[in-house]
Amino acid sequence: MYGRKGYQLLKDFASGEKGQLKPFNSKLFDETIEECDQNHHLMQSLMRKMQQEDLDVQNSRNADHYGALIHHLSLMRNKRCLMAYVYNRAEIVRDLAWRVGLELLDLPSEIQEKLTSLEKEYFKNHSVTLKSYMGKVGIELNVDMVPPKDPYIKVRILDDIDEGIVLSDKTTNFARHSMHFLKRTDAEPYIARGQMEELTD
Amino acid sequence: MTNYYDIDDILVEEEYVPVLFHKTANGVTIDPSAETNCAEQGSKVEVPFWLAHELQLRQAVSINLPACFDQKTRLEVQADAAYVDLRSRCPYFYEFGCKLEPLVTDRTLGILLSTAFKIRYKEALTKVYTAAHITASKYLSFLTKEETNLYEAAHLSSTAFKKWKTGGRRLERASILGRKRKDSN
Repeated sequence: MYGRKGYQLLKDFASGEKGQLKPFNSKLFDETIEECDQNHHLMQSLMRKMQQEDLDVQNSRNADHYGALIHHLSLMRNKRCLMAYVYNRAEIVRDLAWRVGLELLDLPSEIQEKLTSLEKEYFKNHSVTLKSYMGKVGIELNVDMVPPKDPYIKVRILDDIDEGIVLSDKTTNFARHSMHFLKRTDAEPYIARGQMEELTD
Repeated sequence: MTNYYDIDDILVEEEYVPVLFHKTANGVTIDPSAETNCAEQGSKVEVPFWLAHELQLRQAVSINLPACFDQKTRLEVQADAAYVDLRSRCPYFYEFGCKLEPLVTDRTLGILLSTAFKIRYKEALTKVYTAAHITASKYLSFLTKEETNLYEAAHLSSTAFKKWKTGGRRLERASILGRKRKDSN
């Protein structure tokens, strides 16, 4: 009661590593909504009691008023917790689009499992907006997140991506642990997803 | 209003404060020691800060200083502020104190917070540069959330500086994806 469930929901969110998602906690989310309903119900019954005693509900300040006030404040508090939970998750989803890739299927499966279907919709819509903006402006905004030094870099492949990836200048088969000399802009999205790593020496 | 969605702000406001009720409130079960379903006028109850704050605005309660700012803490801070275990007292010591400061009658709270913070901040930054991350772990368990954030920021910036000096990989796997799993074969 009194904002406890909302607090637990947010503690669950905060207990994950900073900037990373945990699976959507729909159990706690529903329990918080249930608590809101309880608060609403109790508040209504107190206000009805005041009306039955012929008191002016808006202005009189008796014990029932303060009880109803506390229920109202708890409801607002749970609402704030729910909103903050969804808002912060949405922020991370937007971040994913920038850092990892604009296609939902490019995201690693363990991340995809943690998103609800609504969040996936949000991700798709956000990507579509970003792509249309980048198209209109004429620049690709999500490359070169680190200022480039060389146009070509050496990479080692970490995951099996051996279906021929079409690069801008050649098509190669990428076997695991093989090393290649690629154009920076091509390799960047794969490095961001952890499928390749940059070699420096 | 910029803090509405801020998780830390919401968690700070959940800390409990002792309040004294000036008016009775009916139909609520916040007071565990009351027999009936209400909080009596003149009863002392522990409620979360967000509730206490709103009720004080409407003059239904008055807020007293919670236990984490009591005389014992003050004496410890005077003795050696850098190694006082503030996290066990209150993980959001400073933020909570800042929120309480305009609402309670105690005028010395602000001074307590600022002196403790100055000494501990200096100690935390020196620890970043002098102690390895592992040996400092006991010290880190004393720090409040805000101080831990500062410590991590300083640590990140010093690692980034060292990396820049020695020249490391610049393109990295996106941190948002979490730690790499160990190679399964």
